Amino acid sequence: MKSPVMWLVLLALGLAGSARADEAKLKACFIYVGPVGDIGWSHAHDEARKLTMKALPWLETQYVESVPEGQALPVIDRLVKGGCQVVLTTSFGFMDQTLEAARKYPKVVFAHATGFKRAPNMATYMADFYQIYYLNGLMAGALTKSGKVGYVGAFPIPELKRHISAFALGVRAVNPQATVNVKWISAWVSPVKAREAAEALMAEGNDVLAFTEDTATVVQVAGRKKVPAFGHYSSMQRFAPDYVVSGQLVHWEKIYIDFLSKVRDGTYAPGKLQDVDYWWLLREGAVEMGGQPGVPINPKFVDALKKAQMTVGGKQVSVYDRVQELLKDMSSSKPGFDPFTGPIQDRHGATRVPAGKTLTKEELNQMQWVAPGVTGPVADEPK
Amino acid sequence: MIDEMLQALLRALSFGTPLLLACLGALVNERAGVVNLGVEGMMALGALTAFGVATETESLGLAVALSLVAGALAALLHGFVTLTLRANAYVSGLALTMLGLGVSGLLGNRYEGAILMEPAPELPFTVAAGVLAVGLWAFLYATRPGLVLRSVGENPAAADVLGVSVAGVRYLAVAVGGALAGLAGAFLSLAYRPAWTDGMTAGLGWIAVALVIFVGWSPPRAVLGSVFFGLLYYLQFRLQDQSRVPTELFAAMPYLLVVGVLALAGLRRTQGSAPASLGKPYHRGER
Repeated sequence: MKSPVMWLVLLALGLAGSARADEAKLKACFIYVGPVGDIGWSHAHDEARKLTMKALPWLETQYVESVPEGQALPVIDRLVKGGCQVVLTTSFGFMDQTLEAARKYPKVVFAHATGFKRAPNMATYMADFYQIYYLNGLMAGALTKSGKVGYVGAFPIPELKRHISAFALGVRAVNPQATVNVKWISAWVSPVKAREAAEALMAEGNDVLAFTEDTATVVQVAGRKKVPAFGHYSSMQRFAPDYVVSGQLVHWEKIYIDFLSKVRDGTYAPGKLQDVDYWWLLREGAVEMGGQPGVPINPKFVDALKKAQMTVGGKQVSVYDRVQELLKDMSSSKPGFDPFTGPIQDRHGATRVPAGKTLTKEELNQMQWVAPGVTGPVADEPK
Repeated sequence: MIDEMLQALLRALSFGTPLLLACLGALVNERAGVVNLGVEGMMALGALTAFGVATETESLGLAVALSLVAGALAALLHGFVTLTLRANAYVSGLALTMLGLGVSGLLGNRYEGAILMEPAPELPFTVAAGVLAVGLWAFLYATRPGLVLRSVGENPAAADVLGVSVAGVRYLAVAVGGALAGLAGAFLSLAYRPAWTDGMTAGLGWIAVALVIFVGWSPPRAVLGSVFFGLLYYLQFRLQDQSRVPTELFAAMPYLLVVGVLALAGLRRTQGSAPASLGKPYHRGER
């Protein structure tokens, strides 16, 4: 039966088979900028991918790790050829190439994390920590004895300015004289720089530390010197169990599950994504407060935070109660509180948020100013 | 004020320890006439080996010992490529750096985010580095094997005539250099920041390479130089926003100083105090 007929039969069978598979499965492919083994960014996205797989039995996934930011396009080409119906690119630097790919493959669904460019078949998404930084700031303000809180920052980009400012607003809500002192290390991953920056901050009298960079160094250094600190991004309480007060944790899976479910049921089809922009916060569960999942505040610090008082609307309340109250409020379906509600001035005295107004997502995304109380050099700051 | 100065000195000693260890290692193999730019890669391999062994066996002693072995083995690869295969030492060293960083990143994947429950104290490493510096100085200038090592770096042909195995001495020196770079890495992952992160050596190996030149291949000056470079590194953070000088300058200073030293040596039309045959391959019967 060595004839064209046999080949046709085989081909027909094959097509039927793949068509059935297409019906049953949705294939989503992830592009990571780092190795999935880092304990930071790419690791969190990959954990979310696994949780999403668990939640959505019809989902098939594939990922490519450690993709340099200029190399996304060839990787996307390969993935699309390999049958990916959804491509998720998870680094800011992938933005332009994702857009290019979206134009090249109009039938494929694209989603880009942390960017601001969209297309009819390309959405954007972000899980942001600014509310949690404010809450952590309240706790830091209560715990500092010297009135100096140290902060190790990676790069002075809008995301960090937003986080540092929210943190400083929190610190000052409890302790109006306190300062948040920033040291920049100009790197996402450099334990050596992070260590010396943290040491320098402690040498200058900062007795509580927070940070935004991709290693647990600051927590470790602080723990050794018995200084309270806040974890960032992943579960870091184990690095200094007695000294991590709280921190920020991410849950990208909340976004992935929602987005991919809507892609499957047709809500998000190519042509309908121009305005799809996830900006998920506490309310959606995309982020969590704590040094490890399920522990919003380390029990070792509860007493101290209950003793610490602050004034809210003319009334004295404990910092602990205030944190719990705001956490509940911001996690509810209709949050009544936002850290960036005016009147807020920047640190040079210019009004940045008029009374009664709250910063929009776009304004938060483009934030170049920093809040009062922040000390240290801040690049690209409007004077 | 006194507190501040003490704190700065402590930071300089802490940060200077891996610099001094790696620098002494490079100093040994350069005294024998071999250039090895792979310090950064060997450090990374040493750091990963130490962390992996410490995690698996909970023995810090074994972790340190095997970091020495890892560094030495990586260096011997460089030795084989340059001394036996006669490849360009600069290219081979750069390749070793990339290989070390790549391999340690790949194999270290499973240790990302792990914690060392019992980190090593920093002080023994610092003391050991100091003792090594003094010992190396005594060895180079007060012993016969030290004289042999130096002569191989200065004039290998003369040493050869006297019956010294130039290749043997160079291999040995290269291995010792690698072992010390591995130890510098172990300090980083066991004591300085007891965890493993890809790329945690963060350019320290390159500063060590620069330091050898800056201190003119002298062990006692290496002690002063590493403390000085350590101080500069710390000050770039400590003085951020507090000095009129941009603190990035402190980070760049080690390299600027080395360029300065080389330029001065060039102006005097000498090699400075570099071993005369540094970087020149030696093969009997060729010139």
